[in-house]
Amino acid sequence: MTAVNYLTFSTILFLLAIGGVLLNSQNLFILLMSIELMLLAVNMNFLVFSVLLDDMMGQLLALFILAVAAADSAMGLAILVTTYRTRGTMAVEYATGMKG
Amino acid sequence: MSSPESVHDAVLVSSASGPALGSLGVVSLVNIVHPAPSSGSVSACISLPHPSMNADFAAAVQILIHAGAVNVPIPFAAMPVSQPQYPHPAKPWTVGDGITSALRTSAFPPLINMILYTSWYRIFPIVLRNAGSSPTHSVQRIGSYSSTESLPPFEPPSIVLLVALVGAITVARREQVIGQETEPALRIDD
Repeated sequence: MTAVNYLTFSTILFLLAIGGVLLNSQNLFILLMSIELMLLAVNMNFLVFSVLLDDMMGQLLALFILAVAAADSAMGLAILVTTYRTRGTMAVEYATGMKG
Repeated sequence: MSSPESVHDAVLVSSASGPALGSLGVVSLVNIVHPAPSSGSVSACISLPHPSMNADFAAAVQILIHAGAVNVPIPFAAMPVSQPQYPHPAKPWTVGDGITSALRTSAFPPLINMILYTSWYRIFPIVLRNAGSSPTHSVQRIGSYSSTESLPPFEPPSIVLLVALVGAITVARREQVIGQETEPALRIDD
């Protein structure tokens, strides 16, 4: 597979994740995993361009994103469990605590 | 195309179809228990093509971090919230959903067109940093970068990760602590 194929693949993955974020209104859980999919697609792009440019900074940024994704997932799951305990549902439309 | 190259391409295509199918499962499955293994398959399969890009260290770290810090907590978070919560059928397709789906679908052809018709190699000149020296392994180069040039940017994420994990545990246990604190007050009221 060439770089074009990798970029196409990461684009497909990113668009699927965007669809999961935008079209999902019933479950915060799928929203969180869709954000993880977005980060994976971005990671793939970083690795592809790291190979293309022969620059190790792309791999370093991929590791950086992985660490941030792990922290994001941990906090997101904790907030999700707390939200379910307090509200009894995980529907996105009821998560209006910060609405003005 | 030679035979090893075709085999290589077949392996890469099969390892690329795993994340695509897994991400479809993550996005489309309604029951929250089912997307968890799909997410695991995505994170495992997406790291399979990485060694072919000389990113074996990133592949190993991705599997370890996603298996340990993302995919293991997901079932533990799904278990307390996996009660049946969809007694009614799914909501009908609204106008906003249609617009969103149309925008997303219409964004796909120009993106693919841009990817296919952009000469990536002409835009970005390839500069071999170690052209004169002996080639080193990617792990050694990553270690060299992360311990010299990129040391300051990598220290805050480690602290952020630690604080996030401790904060996640604190947030998840908050209700239990409040319940323990309010229990004596309830006894006094009784």
